[in-house]
Amino acid sequence: MADKNIRTVTDVICPFCGTLCDDLEVDIDNKEEKIVEVRNGCQIGTKKYFSSNPSVHRYDKPLIKDNGSYKAISWDEAIDKAADILIKAKRPLLYGFSSTECDAQGKGVELAELLGGILDNTASVCHGPSLLAIQDVGAPTSTLGEYKNRADLVVFWGSNPVHAHPRHLGRYSDFIRGYFRKDGSNDRFIVVVDPRNTHTAQLADMYIQLNPSEDYELINAIRAMLRGVELEGDEISGVPKKIIIELVNALKSCNYGVIFFGMGLTQTLSHHRNIDAAICLVRELNDHTKFLLTPMRGHYNVAGANQVFTWQTGYSYSIDFSRGYPRYNPGEFSSVDLLMRDEIDASLIVASDPASNFPAAAVKNMFKYPLISIEPHHTPTSVNADIILPPAIAGIECEGTAYRMDSVPLRLRKVKDAPGDCLTDKEILERLVEAVKKKKGE
Amino acid sequence: MVDIKLKLKKAPEFPLEADVITPDQFAGKSAAQIKKLIVYHGNEEKTLGEFFDVTGNGSEVNDIKIIIDGDLSNVKRIGEKMTGGEIIVNGNVGMHVGSKMSGGKILVNGNADDWAGAMLNGGELEITGNAGNYVGAAYRGYWKGMQNGVIKVKGKIGNEALSWVTGSKPGNRFPTLLCGSAGSFLGVHSHGGTIIVEGDCDRCIGADQVRGTIVVKGKINRILPSFKKIGEVKEIELMNGEKIKGNFIEYSGDHSVEKNHSKIDKKTGNISNSSNGRLYVAA
Repeated sequence: MADKNIRTVTDVICPFCGTLCDDLEVDIDNKEEKIVEVRNGCQIGTKKYFSSNPSVHRYDKPLIKDNGSYKAISWDEAIDKAADILIKAKRPLLYGFSSTECDAQGKGVELAELLGGILDNTASVCHGPSLLAIQDVGAPTSTLGEYKNRADLVVFWGSNPVHAHPRHLGRYSDFIRGYFRKDGSNDRFIVVVDPRNTHTAQLADMYIQLNPSEDYELINAIRAMLRGVELEGDEISGVPKKIIIELVNALKSCNYGVIFFGMGLTQTLSHHRNIDAAICLVRELNDHTKFLLTPMRGHYNVAGANQVFTWQTGYSYSIDFSRGYPRYNPGEFSSVDLLMRDEIDASLIVASDPASNFPAAAVKNMFKYPLISIEPHHTPTSVNADIILPPAIAGIECEGTAYRMDSVPLRLRKVKDAPGDCLTDKEILERLVEAVKKKKGE
Repeated sequence: MVDIKLKLKKAPEFPLEADVITPDQFAGKSAAQIKKLIVYHGNEEKTLGEFFDVTGNGSEVNDIKIIIDGDLSNVKRIGEKMTGGEIIVNGNVGMHVGSKMSGGKILVNGNADDWAGAMLNGGELEITGNAGNYVGAAYRGYWKGMQNGVIKVKGKIGNEALSWVTGSKPGNRFPTLLCGSAGSFLGVHSHGGTIIVEGDCDRCIGADQVRGTIVVKGKINRILPSFKKIGEVKEIELMNGEKIKGNFIEYSGDHSVEKNHSKIDKKTGNISNSSNGRLYVAA
């Protein structure tokens, strides 16, 4: 029976990974405004919901570093101090944005432009190379629903959805019954290409284990074979030629194929050239059958960050506003490279945790200069910040729009109120924009 | 030739964007006027005079010789879009040196950072030390990279040099790179570039090459599977008609490219050796 103290919100969109599952049910305790149960979610998504409950790991007031320890301050004071840091900086870095909603990202662009700073999102260390390749050779892609209904060959190349996108297989790519794939898994042929025998590889109908960082050579060989070129040698990238021929036959003979690729392709040796080659492979496969590809985006709204940045500045990440207009050059204006060369003098980190992901040398350089963190939880980044601005978690404590990995926008739902004095990311950035404008006399 | 001398006064704290250091910008200006040209430091506009001592007055573009002293490794875009004259840099230089230039000459007596001579469209860029990644490469998303001119690097260069290079025999454009040794993906997506490497190269040389000639006088770490060995040659004819003598193994490729100019006979499966890309490696 329904408990009067508990309310249930249905059709909730999970703000964890790029799959953006839209069928969660969340139970909230009315008295304590705490999440007590999450149904349908995967383990990671469920944990994110529970992490929003007030705890010792959650910030509920703006904090400022004072002699090595943190003291609580008012929002007005915190925004004022943060604006001072940003205005004083000659080359501020605004990084993150991938785990928040699109309106906040838009405000981030406005702030970066006002400050003449550098704007980057987590694609810079994630699917940035995919974007570079897409700019070079285009991208034949589709929505996940199409794959669910039509794909009879699914290739996971350098991605491990069992762990990174746990419900992807069940909702779109393997176990689900589709309109033309009535028998679910039995109607699909799953190929996994990975140097490691991952849990996804163990589900595959065909598993190809190649040498680490030799993906480019393998794709190159497949493309040549596809054009009827006889290759020399018995094996390529550690894969016997016999197996490559089997794979080429499988790719050519399917009705509708798709490649889902992940960090194993984008962040290993050759980076964007791997994707470049994979896209060219897909293009050439379309001479024989229908073939598409989709990147497995990590953060739930990193695709949205790319969309918002692109429609507002023309570029999807690594944007420099120092000359007043947006310029783009990953490698020159991307966060890790800037930090490694020690080129920034203040940073604002929004909804991400670079300290856990960037190289140690880059993180050390980031910590040398004033750091402002808009972050709900204790993270290696936020515990080293000079000012911590606690936001409501988008998709749990406030509404907003997020883009799924296939660039389909979905409306996030609010299921509960944020604890303490938390404001939304959008409000915080809006107030920062206003404070900066005021101080600059605009 | 008129000499204009620049000397770096203090090392910039942030990268200094000095795309005004070109004979084109200096032409017809006095030293005082040159000092007032705008450079970008962080998000601030500064004048060239704040960072450089300037002596000499500019005359006509092709008569100007700019000599710069000091460690310019944090100064970007020197000689960007220049059309004539000469620049000599005595020291290391930052990113984008000579990018998009279409005439004149730049000599760097030191090392250059990434994007040296990117999308060069004429003229000559010479670097006596090493150069970074993307030498003579196309900027992100461009389908035409370097289209003409010569880049000479005595030392080693990084990855992806001369990506999307586009040459044309009928158009009399022969974009050329000469270097000591190279990283991976040399001449990726080449459409008619000429690359000569005195030493060794890393992997994936000539990946996706449609047309063009790559000559490696040393070793290649791993030759791509889609390159086909044709045989041994004693003489190589480059696109511009020049010849190189020596014992080389000739490969054709990249055969993974769909719109390759190589022709595969559907009946016999033989590859026509006439028109597609070539890779020569010392025997």
